[in-house]
Amino acid sequence: MTSVRLLSVDPSDRGSQRCRLGPGLMSALGLGLGSPLLLSVPGGSCLCTAWPRSDLTEGFLQLDLKCCSPGLTLPNTPTHLDLDQLSPVPCPKLKGLKITVVVQGSDFKKNTPPRVIHELVKDMMRGVYVHRSHVINFEDFDTEIRYAVIESITPDSTCSGLITSKTALEITGIQTLKYYESGLQDQNLVPLGGLEEVSLSLTEMLRLPLLYPHTLGSLGLSCPRGVLLVGPPGVGKTQLVRRVVGEVGASLVVVMGPEVVGSRPGESEEKLRAVFERARSAADEGPCVLFLDELDSLCPRRTATTAAENRLVAQLLTLMDGMTRSDRFLIVGATNRPDSLDPALRRPGRFDREVIIGAPTLQQRKNILSVLCERMPVYPSVDLEELAQRTLGYVGADLSALCREAAMHAIRETTKCSVEQTVGMKHFYEALKSVRPSCLRSSLARTDVCPVSWEQIGGLDDIKLKLRQSIEWPMRFPEAFGRLGLSGPRGVLLYGPPGCAKTTLVRAAAASSHCSFLSVSGADLYSPYVGDSEKALAQLFRQARSCTPCILFLDEIDSLIGSRSNSQSPNSIQTRLLSVLLNEMDGVGLKVSERRGTEKVLQAEGVEEGPSPQQLDYEDVCNADVMVVAATNRPDCLDSALLRPGRLDHIIYVPPPDHTGRLSILKICTESMPIAADVRLEELASKTNLYSGADLENLCREAALLALQDENMKASQIRHAHFTRSLSHMTPSLTERQIHMYQTPPT
Amino acid sequence: MSKPAVIPLQQAIKKSFQCLENNQKIWKSVLAECGPLMVSLGNLAEQSIALSNVQLSNTPLRVFPDLEERLRFKQQHAIDTVLGKMNEKMSSLQSVRDSISNQVSGVFQLYEQNTESLDIPTLTERSAITPSISDMLEWLQDADRHYRQEFLRRKMLLQTLRADDLSLLESAPKRWKSLETPTAEDQISDTLCKVSFFMESQ
Repeated sequence: MTSVRLLSVDPSDRGSQRCRLGPGLMSALGLGLGSPLLLSVPGGSCLCTAWPRSDLTEGFLQLDLKCCSPGLTLPNTPTHLDLDQLSPVPCPKLKGLKITVVVQGSDFKKNTPPRVIHELVKDMMRGVYVHRSHVINFEDFDTEIRYAVIESITPDSTCSGLITSKTALEITGIQTLKYYESGLQDQNLVPLGGLEEVSLSLTEMLRLPLLYPHTLGSLGLSCPRGVLLVGPPGVGKTQLVRRVVGEVGASLVVVMGPEVVGSRPGESEEKLRAVFERARSAADEGPCVLFLDELDSLCPRRTATTAAENRLVAQLLTLMDGMTRSDRFLIVGATNRPDSLDPALRRPGRFDREVIIGAPTLQQRKNILSVLCERMPVYPSVDLEELAQRTLGYVGADLSALCREAAMHAIRETTKCSVEQTVGMKHFYEALKSVRPSCLRSSLARTDVCPVSWEQIGGLDDIKLKLRQSIEWPMRFPEAFGRLGLSGPRGVLLYGPPGCAKTTLVRAAAASSHCSFLSVSGADLYSPYVGDSEKALAQLFRQARSCTPCILFLDEIDSLIGSRSNSQSPNSIQTRLLSVLLNEMDGVGLKVSERRGTEKVLQAEGVEEGPSPQQLDYEDVCNADVMVVAATNRPDCLDSALLRPGRLDHIIYVPPPDHTGRLSILKICTESMPIAADVRLEELASKTNLYSGADLENLCREAALLALQDENMKASQIRHAHFTRSLSHMTPSLTERQIHMYQTPPT
Repeated sequence: MSKPAVIPLQQAIKKSFQCLENNQKIWKSVLAECGPLMVSLGNLAEQSIALSNVQLSNTPLRVFPDLEERLRFKQQHAIDTVLGKMNEKMSSLQSVRDSISNQVSGVFQLYEQNTESLDIPTLTERSAITPSISDMLEWLQDADRHYRQEFLRRKMLLQTLRADDLSLLESAPKRWKSLETPTAEDQISDTLCKVSFFMESQ
């Protein structure tokens, strides 16, 4: 017999530290009645006394967990133990013992004198076999004293021993059950991707008062009391706090903003005081963090009108100020809108430090994705680097939604054809279509860009090349640009006669470069309230900056923004919008709350430095700005301040197509139409001088309609005659003079 | 088969069970006496709470000088008397517990001395009238543990009573009553029944 089956303990054996074996096994191991035996089970080990089974059967084992490793539980299903997992150990009588006592509630701990606890515990532990770093379980006594954690035993030479009435017992500390259990739980911490620097600084703030209280006192310092975490929603503020608290082993008191608010006058202030009281009592045990989530809903600016909120803000301010030196808990607040907080909160002494967590950079996104994909079965071919590049402007919450969607797609597939469930790259691509970055979700400039490929635009090859240079290259080859000291262009203006594929060109550029694409027209911006359009335009730019690289497309820009020199009223909406646009494109700098990534890299505890600054530079400097692409038919109406290099750098003239261009346009238009063999596209191309691309499309459409008309809806082919007939009906929309006007470059 | 070491061990076990039977009776009687004491403690606590709830100066009793202090003094005195009597009972319970513990540890010591000559098959051999030695030792251990736990729980209850917390005193009798474990006491009676044949033999 090489293994025994482990069964659950007999109820009458609870607290007896007995383990029931078969008598033959006991003889084989050389055990007598009550001899101590050490069992190693998965999850730890357990020390118990051997006793024969009452039914004297072999092959089964039942054990009582009186003295076992911390957190050990027996598996619910019966498992098998090999004989080498059982080992008799010698247990001499112990001379001395140091323990930590865990009690049920903090009341008992506060009200009972330590001498009484010492006496009680000494009584409870008589006759128990103990092992180093195990936990003695007193649940069978059914009293307030729950566990005793063995810290050390004398003599040092043994690992285990027997406690007699002569053993000297020393209690090194008394903890509450909640605190003890929270200390056990930190083994399963979820690693955070991409937030290492911020969590390091928070950890330092929590740990220092604990590790060096006297130093801080003698230096006259008090550690920062409050930390404000600012960042867009979904970036990981709440999760960061939980993670840091778990690492340090602190207790966490969480207040979700609106849950404190009550209906009766004074109720919310009372609840807030109660929360602070709870944190104060939790801080008696060890470090404690009070986390105020959604702080801007709790403490908006104080105004004259809303008296109830003013009182709440005032209460919070006095509570934070009233913290004396003995209050050792840290207050962390999290918010998305720091500007709507009362400014009295943001001074040293209240929220001392402000940590800005921006949207993750490329490297940080890669970290987050690798953490998320660790827990999913993914194909090894899944390229996280590429995924990180395609998920611009996604925050942590978006990335986890992305992985979830990909997993859902994988599950849906496998339920149809039962194959192994692994998530592949194609599932991620499908998920990318449905999960959009949250910073763009509420944008007024979201458009559904039907992707257009470069091949669907006929001719204009040099224009296409120029656009690719401006838009695609800075992103794809950032090292090359950095090496030559280039930075990407700020803006591109496409001008030309109407109907010549300007908008389509921009769509193709957006589709091929995988950037975020925001497009806005006049109707979106104009609003009856004064100042609204400027705010909307500024907000648009802010959103674009939060998900760079981004293409911001302003179509028909001459109607949006006029020129200052030839406008009738100097204060019209157009002038104001123009000033906003000029400022945003080439203004002083980014607002502080828009900083991306975090600059500090704390060297603490042997953590290696973050990615080398140079590498980050290459990725971020070239894309730091938003690319504004504008399209217009009347470039002379634009203000000259816009047209200078530094704002709209590249001014590209999109001409009406020449012969080869027209030929390729016709080819593309008639690709989906069934044309007869006698259609001669070259002839058509040569006859359609001055036709724009839109005109040619119209031509083909008219020809098809004529074909239908002739043959009573039963046509299947379009013949050359139809084309010539429709050509004779049409006139070109462009004139020579128009084109000549465009060709003189705008001033 | 009778090995030379078995007989003295069995004799020792017999003596222990005898002692257990006697002590069980003592335990039950002492515990029964504790009941009324705890009830009177609860009553006194209730009276104290009532005294602190009333404002004697608003009642016709205000003519009596220093009534409140004197009443309180009397109540405290009575509580102290009751607690003193409880302490006596607790010490007799402690002596019961100690005697059982000593007997059991004596038996185990005897076993330890003879552990080479007593192997597992001998220890687990049972007959119709005689339970096996390992079973009997197990029951003795369980009884010892039971009395130790009971004593400790009651001692803890009494030690957590504080003079200033009257509500604790008021709820004390109820909590005392809830500490009774009739199932465990019955188990000890069952054990004594199981060894009754063994005790009568020889």
